[in-house]
Amino acid sequence: GKWKNKERVLIFSSRGINFRTRHLMQDLRTLMPHSKADTKMDRKDQLFVINEVCEMKNCNKCIFFEAKKKQDLYMWLSNTPQGPSAKFLVQNVHTLAELKMTGNCLRGSRPLLSFDPTFDKEPHYALLKELFIQIFSTPQYHPKSQPFVDHVFTFTITDERIWFRNYQIIEEDASLVEIGPRFVMNLIKIFKGSFGGSTLYENPHYQSPNMHRRMIRLSVAAKFREKQQVKEVQEIKKKGSKVLMEGDPTEVVFETPAEEKPVEIQLVKPESKPIVKDKKKPRKIQRKKQKKLFRTEA
Amino acid sequence: QDGLRQRLAEFRQQLAWVERLDVSAGQAPEPLPQGAAGKGAVDPENDFQREMSFYRQAQAAVLEALPRLRKLQVPTRRPDDYFAEMAKSDQQMQKIRQKLKSKQEAMERSEKAKQLRAMRKYGKKVQTEILQRRQKEKKNMLNAVKKYQKGLSDKLDFLDEEQTSSQGNKKGSANQWTKKGPNAKRRYKNQKFGFGGKKKGSKWNTKESYDDVSSFRSKVAHNKGPGRAGKGGKKALNKRPGKRARQKMKNRAR
Repeated sequence: GKWKNKERVLIFSSRGINFRTRHLMQDLRTLMPHSKADTKMDRKDQLFVINEVCEMKNCNKCIFFEAKKKQDLYMWLSNTPQGPSAKFLVQNVHTLAELKMTGNCLRGSRPLLSFDPTFDKEPHYALLKELFIQIFSTPQYHPKSQPFVDHVFTFTITDERIWFRNYQIIEEDASLVEIGPRFVMNLIKIFKGSFGGSTLYENPHYQSPNMHRRMIRLSVAAKFREKQQVKEVQEIKKKGSKVLMEGDPTEVVFETPAEEKPVEIQLVKPESKPIVKDKKKPRKIQRKKQKKLFRTEA
Repeated sequence: QDGLRQRLAEFRQQLAWVERLDVSAGQAPEPLPQGAAGKGAVDPENDFQREMSFYRQAQAAVLEALPRLRKLQVPTRRPDDYFAEMAKSDQQMQKIRQKLKSKQEAMERSEKAKQLRAMRKYGKKVQTEILQRRQKEKKNMLNAVKKYQKGLSDKLDFLDEEQTSSQGNKKGSANQWTKKGPNAKRRYKNQKFGFGGKKKGSKWNTKESYDDVSSFRSKVAHNKGPGRAGKGGKKALNKRPGKRARQKMKNRAR
């Protein structure tokens, strides 16, 4: 048959991406025969330069990976001449080369696209669904494609994010094995134009990775500050001014002063007590002798 | 929102389904009884549950799409002789297979080790049981012999094939005395602690031994009985004469 659906996707990235992103990009290029590669873009250029690059390569769709701070990966999906476009934060990337992904598929075979029913419920999801379909589905009779349909891409919405998985169809009864790659897209914004234009939709659940890291740091700091405050309060309590209490007026009630004894003046000397000898105790002189002996012995 | 819809309307392509191959699927029927909760109950933190839900979604999509494709005569199964480049190289697949094999082997090894340990434990238990049984048997045998020596029982059952019948005739006292014998408490203690105590110092010439005439055989003494080659072990009880005979004896004595 004739190849009518002329979709071409340009897949490239900015500088500063790490090995995982690079492999992901390569994997996408292998899986999508209707894709084209390009060199890394310099960060200094503005984003709308990408539109010109796409036009030069005669592509009408684009997947652009942007890495920031060597930590965060952003992905732009766009329909190049007029838009719309969407920016995502990409997380949990696993590539084709991971040994747990045991499936395999023909290179360039056309994928089935499976969408969550949630995609039809919201307008922004419906727009994204359309974008995904146009970008990820291989046109029929593309010269580099294989005519068989032997793998399926799944897009699922869970936890306010879009999860991407790729499975190989082994049997006609739908037994599947994962091929990979896999990643999670967190929608940030949808723009009216390609890499620019007014914002059509902003995801309220999105928290930028910087904010996320900041929250973590703040929570740790807050815990520490709380501990310190508690300590301060305790110290104040310990030292704190002891409140002087006024005297209790009822204290005197039970006080009964002792009766006064008559003053007796002794005139006669009291009788002397008889002296009783303690025979067990050695006499003073003997004690002294004992002490002397002790000293000489030592 | 309206802007979105407008954009979507502009952007949408009207292509035949076969070009796009998209399926919006629910979930395939689950083998586990999860009730009618469906997707809403999937906890994103629970990895296994989440992956299973993705899997099921893919399955549902496949089940829906394959018949449609077959109707449109788009091939879905690759013929066996169709060789083409795969997304992952053969080398990669080899690595994967190796890893799986090694994991399986490791598991098997650990299983074998566990089984060996269990068997050894069991074997040890059986061995100790056998030893204990043997010791018990030996103890019982010795006790029986001792009993016999003391004359409490005249049965030779414990000896089976052995030729120690002479030992049996040694001190066979009257059967009646065996039945009464030592009382229950004494018997119990004998059984438990055996016939221990001083053996060498025990008297031989006691009143009982003097009064004991059980080894007296009148026929032997008067040389009257049949030859001893007959039945050496048989003893006749001292027969008490009947009433008439006793009366006669009494009258005669008077």
